[in-house]
Amino acid sequence: MTEASATLVDSGPSALGRLMAPVSAGVNDIAGLFRLLGRTLTLISQGKREQGALLEQMYIIGNRSLVFMCITMGFIGAIITFQSAVQSQRLLPDLTMLGATFIKLLVRDMAASLGAMPLATRVGAGIAAEIGSMVVTDQVDALRMCAADPVDYLVVPRFIAATIMGTAVLIIAGAVAILSGMVIANGVFDVNFHTYLNFSMVTLGDVGLGVTKMVAFCAAIAIISAQRGLSTFGGSEGVGTATTRAVVGSSFAIIVLNFFISGLGYFFVPS
Amino acid sequence: MSGSRLLALPARVGASLLSLADQVGGMTLLLSQALKRLVPPRVDRYELVRNLHRMGVQSVPIVMATAAFTGAIMVIQAAPLVERFNAREFVGWGASFVTFREVGPLLIALMFNGRVGANNAAELGTMVVTEQVDGLRALAIDPIGYLVMPRIIAMVVMIFMLTILGDGVALIGSIITGDLLLDVDPRTFLASAIPMLGPWDVIAGLIKSAIFGLMIAVTSCYFGLATRGGAPGVGRSVNASVVAAATGIFVADYLSTFVLG
Repeated sequence: MTEASATLVDSGPSALGRLMAPVSAGVNDIAGLFRLLGRTLTLISQGKREQGALLEQMYIIGNRSLVFMCITMGFIGAIITFQSAVQSQRLLPDLTMLGATFIKLLVRDMAASLGAMPLATRVGAGIAAEIGSMVVTDQVDALRMCAADPVDYLVVPRFIAATIMGTAVLIIAGAVAILSGMVIANGVFDVNFHTYLNFSMVTLGDVGLGVTKMVAFCAAIAIISAQRGLSTFGGSEGVGTATTRAVVGSSFAIIVLNFFISGLGYFFVPS
Repeated sequence: MSGSRLLALPARVGASLLSLADQVGGMTLLLSQALKRLVPPRVDRYELVRNLHRMGVQSVPIVMATAAFTGAIMVIQAAPLVERFNAREFVGWGASFVTFREVGPLLIALMFNGRVGANNAAELGTMVVTEQVDGLRALAIDPIGYLVMPRIIAMVVMIFMLTILGDGVALIGSIITGDLLLDVDPRTFLASAIPMLGPWDVIAGLIKSAIFGLMIAVTSCYFGLATRGGAPGVGRSVNASVVAAATGIFVADYLSTFVLG
């Protein structure tokens, strides 16, 4: 080895390489997520799946999260109604449109975006921890040895279950948020139940936009958490790290997706 | 047989209430033990600095990204209402009020919970199942002073700082979005935001985020230290910690909204 090449090796990665390393890691990460999404969708379109596993996942992801989601969204509805009532009283004392505006915002955005964050915490952490502990205890390798595709066997049922049940749970939790907002508006600000439950500002486009967001967020939670779980390494500590990365990744994906879908909605779904 | 089936539901409700009481009581005890070590302060300084760096400094990128998108989304959501009532001079006030007071602290806390809280529960849980905490006790090192206190202090201090940073970044995000989407001049934006926002609006949001930080810290330390059952137990307690802290954040948000009114 010559003197020159030795110094080159010793100097390690170049300054540009060090600067670009996080960027290329991020690009690789996103590419991996889309590969897993493509693979999952291909397997779903081929249409062979286990009914039992799907129903079990739907129960775990949907029914088991329902109480938690109703509690959090109930509080969210109360908080937002309280804050917006206090604020609009600063400008004009008329609270008759409080319910109508809140319900529109909830349908168009908050039921999906604010609801998906706790859902990501609960469902995402669960999926990543479960698949992650299967990886570190070599159960996924055992699946491969039995010629069972881990994506088909583990990811597909979770993806379908999370997309269907997650959306359903978000819709129910959104309804709970409207109810709790109604109770607060009535109890604290003397707004009539009838006046509050005013759906006149909600258009079909708003509902479509809201449901699109819910489906997109739930699918993102499932894919990101499954990918974090499958890429677990390093024993029990690795499972903790995978859970962390699943929750952070899904929460961040929700915020970024919300930015893009809301932006598109602003131009294509007039209110 | 039918009697036991009849009692199955109340028994399950009772069991979950008892475990809830167990967890809330455990967290309260942990918090009181930690508070006792505040006067005189018995905190491991090296651990404190390490945690401040790990939990705070390394969370800066994700918090900044979250805040920028949050600020932008607030303006996008307000846009239809703004155009309908032609209320461009209120955009700055509306977007920054919601961000400072409610959504900013809430989203940053949820992000912090996912990143720092989960990691903390996993770390403490691993230490428990590999008997490192018993090892500390055997060396007469107080686990609360050495492990819990630095983490609680670091989380409360750092989430407070990160929220200040996040507020600023979210404001920039809303100004840029308002300019591009609604043609609201940045000067108009600030002219409506600054006079109508009192210092209390910003301070109330920061107090809230400190409360969330304490919530995340106590919850994740409790669930980490209460880990049982080897390696799979660590996964379970991370999961339980993240979910419990998220619930706690929403409940604390609700209560503090009324108290800080």
